[in-house]
Amino acid sequence: MSEVFLPWAPTPDRDSQPWWDALAAGEFQLQRCSDCAALRWPARAICNRCRSFECEWERQDGAGTVASWVRTHQAFAPALREVVPYRVVQVRLYVQDDLLLVGGWISDREPVFEEAVALEIVEGADGFRVPCWRGVRE
Amino acid sequence: MSLRDQVAIAGIGCTEYSKDSGVSTLTLASRAIMAALEDAGLDADAVDGVATFRVGDSVLPAVLTQALGVRDPRWYLDQFGGGSVSHAIVGQAALAIHAGIADTVVCYRALNARSEFRMGGTGRPLVDAVETQYQAPYGYFVPPQQFAMAARAHMEKYGTTQEQLGRVAVQQRANAVLNERAMMREPISLDDYAASRWVVEPFRLFDCCLETDGAVALVLTSAERARDLKKPPVLISGAAWGGGQTLYSNQQPDTTRSAAADVAPRLFEMAGVGPGDIDVAQLYDCFTYSVLVQLEDYGFCAKGESGAFVASGATARDGTLPVNTHGGFLSEGYVHGLNHVYECVSQLRGEAGARQVEGARVGLSTAQPGYIAGNASALVLRSDA
Repeated sequence: MSEVFLPWAPTPDRDSQPWWDALAAGEFQLQRCSDCAALRWPARAICNRCRSFECEWERQDGAGTVASWVRTHQAFAPALREVVPYRVVQVRLYVQDDLLLVGGWISDREPVFEEAVALEIVEGADGFRVPCWRGVRE
Repeated sequence: MSLRDQVAIAGIGCTEYSKDSGVSTLTLASRAIMAALEDAGLDADAVDGVATFRVGDSVLPAVLTQALGVRDPRWYLDQFGGGSVSHAIVGQAALAIHAGIADTVVCYRALNARSEFRMGGTGRPLVDAVETQYQAPYGYFVPPQQFAMAARAHMEKYGTTQEQLGRVAVQQRANAVLNERAMMREPISLDDYAASRWVVEPFRLFDCCLETDGAVALVLTSAERARDLKKPPVLISGAAWGGGQTLYSNQQPDTTRSAAADVAPRLFEMAGVGPGDIDVAQLYDCFTYSVLVQLEDYGFCAKGESGAFVASGATARDGTLPVNTHGGFLSEGYVHGLNHVYECVSQLRGEAGARQVEGARVGLSTAQPGYIAGNASALVLRSDA
């Protein structure tokens, strides 16, 4: 497995803490509105479709397709000097097409537009865990 | 009564654009404002309103008005935000004048974006935004990465090419060669573009705007009053802002559509013109891609066809729609949107010298089309002559 570069721990807020807690426990979760059943991410208290405040956290597989990706060559902070270039992908989840997340790319090859990807939860140096993706075909 | 043509830009001013101004943002703002007032033929005592936008990187407007000796500003706006709101503050100042709350408003932006607070991250903390936590762990945290992500999707979806991105940079540099204010005045070719280093693929160095120390100021007053001042008025025919969808709003599945598409219809409706009436366009160009997506979303070409539109020469200075006639942020300098308004006014006054677009009467000037904050803003300006 190729290495994913994770330079900084996330700083959760009061809305997102449950999401990060689930990841720390090895689960990828999304909020589902209890009234209109729409999924949403990132975490927040109110549904932007039906304005309900009722929701449940639901386990998801995080599978989707590559919506885009970039490869960073310039070290935008001193901590990045040793690791450039590195890739970050943007993934569109199968469960709802307006759920777009960025994450680490677990491969040495270039992603392919709209290729199928699977989620993997990867642990950073300080013990935090974040979602990353790998191509399904490898 | 509609805002159309009721308020004018009566004066414009700027500082030198450089990599190291050696002075404070208070000094930069003061210089640009005094130059704009001189241009309008007004004394600083006439100023009763002030508007700016900042991202924690510039002087407080209250400190500025004290420094200028404006004793009692009747209207002020200290907008938090980046390039997205650059044109919204001008629209809001026009509303204040139209409503009779203020007579003479100065809109300005002053920043030491190279020597003090670089948008690229060096020397400043991570942005205090909800989405930072979802990006920073991957080393993804600066605008070149976020715009490159959108550009790649456009390239994959519509076949937009690297060379088409490069043509934006080459055309704008050709304009900057004719601009005495521009920081980059050496012509570049497509080969030079292709040889420039990668910053964030698919962006090369020449896809990215400059980092600039400088300031721009605009003096707004009623159209009626502006007709009695020193310079021919440039009227604000349309002003619009809005949008609001981002990758984090769950309402925008298509990342190749920008907030400009939300703003454009009401902007043109207020102005009573369409894209075909625009003689010159200054499009927010933090990166080459933002020019492409705005050509589509402001209606100058069909979705997905902006790369070919630029390659056809349409956006060159001698094309059907001259774009960024000053060289834009890519080659003139990055004054966060207001240098686009400055150039638009220069063109509509016929003061653009060697780069003057003959017969320019109606101009479009735009803000960042919303890829980070979600919102966009823009102005349609026209000469009063």
